[in-house]
Amino acid sequence: MRLLGMLGLCAVAFGAHAALPDYQTFPAEGERLLLWVTSEQGRTEPEVQAAEKLARQGVEVWSLDLVNTYFLPQLPSSMDRVPLQDLTDWLRSAEASGKRVTVYAVARAAVPVLRAAAQLEPALRDRLCLLLMYPNLYTAAEPLAEPDYLDLGTLSGLRVKILQPRRSAATPWLPSMLEHLTQLGATVGQAMLENLRESYWARETPTEFEVAESQRMDAMLIKELNSGGCK
Amino acid sequence: MKRWLTALALSLLFNAGGHAAGFETRARTPAPALAAQELMGAPQTLAGYRGKVVLLNFWASWCPPCLREMPSLERLRVKMAGRPLEIVALDSAETAEDVNAYLSRMKLGFPILLDPDGSNTRRWKVFALPTSFLLDAEGRVRYVLTGPTEWDEGEALQVIESLLAELPTQAK
Repeated sequence: MRLLGMLGLCAVAFGAHAALPDYQTFPAEGERLLLWVTSEQGRTEPEVQAAEKLARQGVEVWSLDLVNTYFLPQLPSSMDRVPLQDLTDWLRSAEASGKRVTVYAVARAAVPVLRAAAQLEPALRDRLCLLLMYPNLYTAAEPLAEPDYLDLGTLSGLRVKILQPRRSAATPWLPSMLEHLTQLGATVGQAMLENLRESYWARETPTEFEVAESQRMDAMLIKELNSGGCK
Repeated sequence: MKRWLTALALSLLFNAGGHAAGFETRARTPAPALAAQELMGAPQTLAGYRGKVVLLNFWASWCPPCLREMPSLERLRVKMAGRPLEIVALDSAETAEDVNAYLSRMKLGFPILLDPDGSNTRRWKVFALPTSFLLDAEGRVRYVLTGPTEWDEGEALQVIESLLAELPTQAK
């Protein structure tokens, strides 16, 4: 009987773990938890360093590299193949930590994060705040044609802030992106990151300013965590 | 499968890097309006180029593939001197200072237009840089290219020559 009980416990523990993606934890004692979902290019060293700095400043970070976790090619389309239930369970698990949860998703990783948030119970979604770094939410975006957005689900109650590097082809399209998210029910905001390009922390030929900013991503994120949208 | 392929195409689109994607033909699509500024501030529209083949290139000074193809646009200008081809480079959503900083290092002989608020970029539905449009002498879009190319040779030169060949003999 005791053996059966232990087996049952093991099953519960395994079941709970199996629903969560494999992520890297940067523990901290503070009340804030940042869920960092890296882009379709995978986790980079400057992102790891920023997570370590955040943890030292009291912000716990759970870093999720979707392409490595699910053995996916480094392509935007890979983000559309991420098991949503895993991600939804991960968000619930973060909420259950009792900390104030903010999700930071980069590029196409915004798609599974938004879809997972859409699957949450409204009360949980209301508590969540998303920071999306130059999100790519398009199904198709071709010259001379109106952009076509992916189906993301209902985002009512969700707070979303887009962090947009100024030096990006997506910058002129930021108002349309914000309008689209608003139509889905999200409360939206934006922050323009001046003199920076997309993926500025991982550029082959970065400018001096980009190098400096990639070393202070922690400060940029803390500023956003403390700003109106995600406070 | 269709969605996956579309997403793959998008990934190429947003990361227009080292390779030209190939020219897409368009069925004589009427060109959107162009309401841009010259570097000195004078307004410019497409009407000023009517009767010529127009190569309209959307670029930005922070975009490495855009800068890589600029010398070939200048070589094309020199090669086609005296022929009815207008090369126009429209800088997307930057200030005149940004553009002038680049032009101080790269002397270009074709007009550079500004689109500081990105309104032309949105009107032409440009989502990646560089993106180029080839317009015929009647102002219709005939070819679109997303990504860089060597403009003075190969497929690029062929499609330009094909548009010039449509002009009356005395104009070519």
